[in-house]
Amino acid sequence: MPPPAAAPAAAPAPGPAVLPGKKPVDTAVAARSPAPPRPAAPASKPAAPAPPTPPAPPSPPAPPALNLTSLEQRLRDTHAIGIFTKLSLKNQVDDLLDQFRALYRGEVAIPLTALRQRYDLLMLKVLSLLQDSDPPLANDIVASREAIWGILRDPAKFATIS
Amino acid sequence: MAPHSPAFLFAALAATLGSTAVLAADDASMVRDLKATIALQGLPCDEVINAKRNADSDYLATCKDGHHYHVFVNAQGRVMVEKK
Repeated sequence: MPPPAAAPAAAPAPGPAVLPGKKPVDTAVAARSPAPPRPAAPASKPAAPAPPTPPAPPSPPAPPALNLTSLEQRLRDTHAIGIFTKLSLKNQVDDLLDQFRALYRGEVAIPLTALRQRYDLLMLKVLSLLQDSDPPLANDIVASREAIWGILRDPAKFATIS
Repeated sequence: MAPHSPAFLFAALAATLGSTAVLAADDASMVRDLKATIALQGLPCDEVINAKRNADSDYLATCKDGHHYHVFVNAQGRVMVEKK
């Protein structure tokens, strides 16, 4: 009968990992100290007083009120866009407004989703022209984007601006 | 005739260079304006390398890729870009 395979020599108990710069703990003390006993779970939980409700987080600041007149004036005044470009954009804005007018007069049947696409495309053109040269104006237009669409898509509100 | 002082010559040179710079800046902004206008019409132009002014609000733009465009404002106030 062959002798049993020699059992591997007992490896020394690995010491606690010591991170560089960290003070090693007293392993002897740590080994002697038993883990603190866990308190037994109570059979039934006493009715704990409700913790005080934390104050509600502050709500995000409300978006600034839409000021179309101010935005229009800033677009006129900005030096980020040249004269030809401004006039081209104005032509395209007027074209879009004409389509909304025709829709609300019942002259054409354009799906609102199609007008939204044209509106988004026009916004992208404006923002791409402004974002590098006039970032504050570009940011304010982005912030007003949905508010402006809210006016366009509502015939009653649209009537107030056209 | 009294010879011009070095200070006078320097001032004249500075004024000349200054006015040239202003013109160059105007040209550069006009070129950018034309390029953006052409792009807004969905027409190709990688870079405007020359812009010839025909009249007020009437330019002939030449693009680096060889396209030529007539950019002008028509009687209805619309910006028109016509390929030449």
